[in-house]
Amino acid sequence: MQREVGTLPLAPALRARLAAAGFQTAQELLDTGPCGLSKEIGISREEALEALQVVRQECHGDAARTAGGSGATRKCTALELLEEEQTQGFIITFCSALDNILGGGVQLTKITEICGAPGVGKTQLCMQLAVDVQIPECFGGVAGEAVFIDTEGSFMVDRVVDIAAACVQHCHLIAEVQQEEDHQKALETFSLENILSHIYYFRCRDYTELLAQVYLLPEFLSEHSKVRLVVIDGIAFPFRHDFEDLSLRTRLLNGLAQQLIIIANDQKAAVVLTNQMTTRIGQSQSTLVPALGESWGHAATVRLIFHWDNSQRLATLYKSPSQKESTIAYHITSHGFRDVQPPAVTHSAEGTELNPRKRPRTEEEKQ
Amino acid sequence: MAAKKLRRAQLSQEMCERLSRYQITTCQDFLCLSLLELMKVTGQSYYEVQKLLCKVSRACAPKMQTAYEMKLKKSVNLSSAFLSTTLHSLDRVLHGGVPCGSLTEITSPPGCGKTQFCIMLSVLATLPVSMGGLDGAVIYIDTESAFSAERLIEIAANRFPTYFDSDEKLLCMTRSIHLYRELTCCCVLKRIMSLEEEIISKKVKLIIIDSVASVVRKEFDTKLQGNLAERSNFLTRGASVLKYLAEEFSIPV
Repeated sequence: MQREVGTLPLAPALRARLAAAGFQTAQELLDTGPCGLSKEIGISREEALEALQVVRQECHGDAARTAGGSGATRKCTALELLEEEQTQGFIITFCSALDNILGGGVQLTKITEICGAPGVGKTQLCMQLAVDVQIPECFGGVAGEAVFIDTEGSFMVDRVVDIAAACVQHCHLIAEVQQEEDHQKALETFSLENILSHIYYFRCRDYTELLAQVYLLPEFLSEHSKVRLVVIDGIAFPFRHDFEDLSLRTRLLNGLAQQLIIIANDQKAAVVLTNQMTTRIGQSQSTLVPALGESWGHAATVRLIFHWDNSQRLATLYKSPSQKESTIAYHITSHGFRDVQPPAVTHSAEGTELNPRKRPRTEEEKQ
Repeated sequence: MAAKKLRRAQLSQEMCERLSRYQITTCQDFLCLSLLELMKVTGQSYYEVQKLLCKVSRACAPKMQTAYEMKLKKSVNLSSAFLSTTLHSLDRVLHGGVPCGSLTEITSPPGCGKTQFCIMLSVLATLPVSMGGLDGAVIYIDTESAFSAERLIEIAANRFPTYFDSDEKLLCMTRSIHLYRELTCCCVLKRIMSLEEEIISKKVKLIIIDSVASVVRKEFDTKLQGNLAERSNFLTRGASVLKYLAEEFSIPV
């Protein structure tokens, strides 16, 4: 920034004018701006802008050399973003209703938060996603690896084995029906051992270990560039006890959210967090709301809330920038996360095909 | 891990001294500060601070395992993955029995048999592995004073008459069940914190706490302000220590 004007790669005439006007360092040039520069030296605004861009490039080149890295700001047009988003992959959840309300599945480069009461299925969905992210591209998956950061200790390997086996079987069935060559090839690598060895598991016992792990995550991800999913199961648990200083907690959580957003964008990975529910005691009644406070609500891009209704599990899309709010029911079977089977008898037009008896009876009634 | 001193995180001596002037001595203090604060405190540039952060993080970050390695580890130790409850339908539903390495909670209205179940599990844990037990000691933290040693002997003698055929064997079993009567929350918490050394010295293979709810409800009246926070504080702290013990020693709790 303190470079002498004489050393900059500008046209000699321009340099002479700058010297005559009294400019000595590159910083002064940049501070003046193109309009001021054009007025002082007597060149057109476009020429001034060009000159400043050259100066800036030179100075940035220097800074990059001395500091060993550059934090270039990314800017692109909305058109480029649209193209990127359209080719963006989704991680399917094997529950088509949930995929529909999410717009295709869990989106890459976004943070998705899953809140729910204990026992409703958050960890199950995380384990399902850790398997689903590895589905090969010819079957509609993203063919990536998964990082699983566990703070509550609820990761059961046997359950992941069950889910993975069901997923492999499902893909085998599809391959048999469609009989395409690349399906067969992909199936060779999509085996149980491969799935399990591409789930990287970290067990963090308290918030310090969690913070440390998230600081080290970019380095880990640059070594394992195929990771497309980062799951943090139980982000609320280490922050909910032993924290007298609530402002420190908010600060740490916000810092964590920022780092995760950067990781999600750089690595083109989906980040999935699970949160607990807490009771908000109102005037006359108490409601269940996601834990960690209001400011944490801004961290996630997409928020799903899982809850019970009698004995049916429901998922509500609570916050999303592109999909509307809706609720669907889901099941957790021994194979993993699945749709609820639709009821056998329906009174709609499709129902008459299922129940052929109905049509003749109404005709008889008409007669 | 969090309380690890910065000295052991391989930071230079002068850096540690400088940080201790600001009362930053453990990894936890270091990682709780934002980047700007760290730059001010250490007097280093942005990139240097990043490198320091990585060093400190590496000192306290957990180790990576793939799910496959975990599965292999489990399948090697198949017999010690569960404590069978000898109730066949319950074992089937639980996929083998009470899992080792995680917390299991038993709840019910009063009089259903929770304490009886716990007493039976204590007997089962002292049995040798060949009979489906864990061949180890048991730590029983009793908050309701509901544990009866006579009932213990009755269960053992009637359930496994062939094994407990002599008085000596019965006495041996009772000697390996360590009973602690704690009547207040902070006593329970203190006892849980001190369990780590006892587990190693006495070769404990099962921890039972009967019951958590009774002592918590006695002390914390939820209608009073602030008690809710204190109560959940106590519960989560106890829970995290118990989880750590269960996982570290691979025993059921």
